Amino acid sequence: MNLISTLAVVGESTELTELVNPRTIQICLVFSALLFIIGLFGFMTRRNMIVMFLCTELMFQGVALAMVTFGRMHLDVSGQVFVIFILTVAAAEAALALGLVVLMYRRRATLDVGEWSELREC
Amino acid sequence: MPSTILYSSCIAGAIGLYLLASGVRTPVRGLGTLIALGALAWLMTTTFNSVEGPIETSILPLIFGVIAVMAGVRVTTHRRPVFAALYFVLVVVASCGLFLTLHAEFMAFALLIVYAGAILITYLFVLMLAQQSPTDGTDSGSTWYDRTPREPAIALLACFILLSSLVQAMTDQEARANVILTAEKAVVANQVAWADLERMPRQLERVAKGIDPSTESVLGGITFDGKTAQIEVKLSNGEQKKLTLPDDVVPTNTQTIGLALVSDFPVSLELAGVILLMAMFGAVVLARRQIELGEDEIRESAGMAPSVQRGGDE
Repeated sequence: MNLISTLAVVGESTELTELVNPRTIQICLVFSALLFIIGLFGFMTRRNMIVMFLCTELMFQGVALAMVTFGRMHLDVSGQVFVIFILTVAAAEAALALGLVVLMYRRRATLDVGEWSELREC
Repeated sequence: MPSTILYSSCIAGAIGLYLLASGVRTPVRGLGTLIALGALAWLMTTTFNSVEGPIETSILPLIFGVIAVMAGVRVTTHRRPVFAALYFVLVVVASCGLFLTLHAEFMAFALLIVYAGAILITYLFVLMLAQQSPTDGTDSGSTWYDRTPREPAIALLACFILLSSLVQAMTDQEARANVILTAEKAVVANQVAWADLERMPRQLERVAKGIDPSTESVLGGITFDGKTAQIEVKLSNGEQKKLTLPDDVVPTNTQTIGLALVSDFPVSLELAGVILLMAMFGAVVLARRQIELGEDEIRESAGMAPSVQRGGDE
């Protein structure tokens, strides 16, 4: 089914809920929040640097899902365009972060972030 | 959804996730899984029943979402990083299923290719470069810092306060009213779709020729009265005629995204290109090794002739 192709007869409420199902929207919003929260939890609790970055990708997934859902809610395509930009930033971040991780691994021979705790302020 | 249900399911989920993350023995982790699944089911049932809508089309997103969240929990709690990365692939696949149910086909496949195909492979490469074999543990295949979470209780407190406020904001009365598509919003969306088609003149001409083969050229724009869209065309025998456009000729998802990307967000597109370029520079700078060059090599790489002394002495 195309984005708007079933809108021939506009105004009948059954057709409208067929087109954009409120239940689906609501479920997807809650799942996007859950994905974000799980990613945040992982970022705070894991000690392995690579898994921490993996958890930020999980947060990106949640945000992307929320964007697409909001776009669908308003039958607007901008949400999906923003997901493309999220994708760009995620790719750039992965390239840089993983390069850094490899460098840090070479220096200390461990992936534990606790090894670098002297970098923090207090 | 009533706040008490929301808060109690959040607390139950937090307890489950705590047991799952910090439990050492298998029965504790199993109990954590059960509690977390129960909390998830509770939360989803109340969300499912908080609005009206067709049930049969909302089963699929429910299944995909449960898979995504369960795999996400495995990403954050699995002791072996390689498995965490593989579970993240499952998260990506399941959320692509969610995108498909939201009719975002292009994004679904783009995410699948870029995330599951490219980014995750990079992660796996780095994991294999940097993963050390366990030297101290009895739990084979994982190191101590993968087995012991850092401050799970405080992290869970922060996370689940945020979760309950997020879900509260997403499912309160006002948000529920927004979720339901009104006829006015649908008309506006329809107008936008026809305007998108109008911005693609060659496709519009193809469409007109498909409806009436004797069409020579399209004269005016699309007129949309809320129910049907019409265009005026010039036929090959010189007559002018109005054609009614069927609704399956509106641009597809990929076409609308491409159009929005280059015509509504051109500056952001350029900026995204610059971000990627800078990331590439950064990666090159990080990965480069310091090589000691002699004076002659430096001169040579700068395009100059070798230094004079050597030639002069001989």
